[in-house]
Amino acid sequence: MLEVTNLSVSYGGLRALTDVTLSVKEGQFVTVVGPNGAGKTTLFKTISGIVPAASGQITFMGENLFGLHPARRAHLGIAHVPEGRQVFKTLTVLENLEMGAYPQAGQRAWHHTLDRIHTLFPILAERATQLAGTLSGGEQQMVAIGRGLACAPRLLMLDEPSMGLAPAVADTIFERVSQIHKEDGVTILLVEQRVAEALELSDHGYVLETGRMVLDGPYETLLQDDRVRKSYLGLS
Amino acid sequence: MDLEVLIENVLNALAAGITIGCIYGLMCIGLGLIFGIMKIVNFAQGELLMLGMFSSLYLVTGGGILAFMGPYIGPFVGALLAGPIVFAGGCLLHKFLIARVSGLRTAGSLDEGHFGQLIVTLGISLILQNGGLILFGSSPMTVRTPLASSAIEVGPIYGDATVFLNKARMISCAIAIIVAVSLYLVLEYTRMGKALRAAADNPTAATYMGIDTDKVYRLAFGLGCGITAIAGGLMATYLSFGPFVGLDYVIIMYSGVVLGGMGSILGAFWGGLTVGFVQQCSALILPPQLQNAAIFVVFLLIVLLRPQGLFGRSAERA
Repeated sequence: MLEVTNLSVSYGGLRALTDVTLSVKEGQFVTVVGPNGAGKTTLFKTISGIVPAASGQITFMGENLFGLHPARRAHLGIAHVPEGRQVFKTLTVLENLEMGAYPQAGQRAWHHTLDRIHTLFPILAERATQLAGTLSGGEQQMVAIGRGLACAPRLLMLDEPSMGLAPAVADTIFERVSQIHKEDGVTILLVEQRVAEALELSDHGYVLETGRMVLDGPYETLLQDDRVRKSYLGLS
Repeated sequence: MDLEVLIENVLNALAAGITIGCIYGLMCIGLGLIFGIMKIVNFAQGELLMLGMFSSLYLVTGGGILAFMGPYIGPFVGALLAGPIVFAGGCLLHKFLIARVSGLRTAGSLDEGHFGQLIVTLGISLILQNGGLILFGSSPMTVRTPLASSAIEVGPIYGDATVFLNKARMISCAIAIIVAVSLYLVLEYTRMGKALRAAADNPTAATYMGIDTDKVYRLAFGLGCGITAIAGGLMATYLSFGPFVGLDYVIIMYSGVVLGGMGSILGAFWGGLTVGFVQQCSALILPPQLQNAAIFVVFLLIVLLRPQGLFGRSAERA
């Protein structure tokens, strides 16, 4: 579905990604883990077209993404839930979700998806008319994920949804993401620093360090790798 | 008998304050879109007002294409048509100049592009002023309508005290309110309006939603230009103007927008109304030279007591 091939990106004069290759197949749950500054967010931004690539290729459903205007990606069915939530602070919760449904697919499915979003995150129905900027971090994350779902995506990209959240809230978020994957059949690409929880949910994991993919494989393989056990899971 | 004169003066100042205030309100909405919502510093806004006035003038008077409508309807249709003309100009301006110093291109930068916008729009303003001087000449103009010199008399209310409502201003005021309300409804309830607000709020996230922010910004900038131009066309019916008229009004527009609260269209309207109202009423007790000073005394007072503006609301969680 999503194929990233030998991608290199320079960002502000620095090489942020070198020769990164990643593949997400339809229906998969893929996680990219790695320390701060490894280039995870840059990878997402490049897929979304906000950061230009130096070389390499990205295709989605066989279509080359580099030739496309950044805004076209949402219309193809790629939803990007950005790092730090980035909700529209001056819009109400409901308007935020409506903006998620900006592409045609989202508009067609709007009534259905809104119900679904409210089932997943009942608090958003209660807060529908409140400005999104006045919500707590966890609620804003729910708005951001709901907004992503509203475009009826084929691929949902989540950039550190647990960042800055209380552990209990983060657990809820993970649970919902897993539900979205299992019940709605949405393909998921997740970037996380909570490595244990993230890998547990996923079919396939990648480890990104200082801009290079150092390791990849199914969950079980990664768990057996000494480096992952030591550096990310705190096991020996 | 002095009381009668006083009452008459006060009531007439109030009436003038409200009618002129509504037109100022519309003018401020234009800047409210550009500066309040899109956060683009635009010093050329006064010149857009001027262009609105001259567009209307050339459409209506002499051999203008609207001359057949006569002096009663023509000036107001001309004012409304100045909107689309300046809208188109504003879109072009944005495409070739403003887009380079605003929006997604400067979204992450330290000053959000404000330094660039300051210089670029100040330059545009100077070019339009001096270009206007060459094209339109320096003698004061006005879009003549007999309505400007006739009034509806209300009263006598108390003794001989009568309120005179200038017909040209009344009609302009009504048109201003209709245009302002329509724009508000479009921004608040249509998909386009919401996309515009989303793109202004967070251009990166808006792009992730599939909103072409460049296009939306261009439209919003053009709309802001067009709205101010309509206000200009309306003002041209009762005011004499030249190529430098914008200088007087750009300050009024900024104070109106800040007074009403950044980012609120409704606020910009009330801000403009307040400024117009204060300006007219200050004529009661102050010499005309001090009218603009009065505006700023009130401006400073309101900003002192309510820094977020009359309608500003804080969207940040404390």
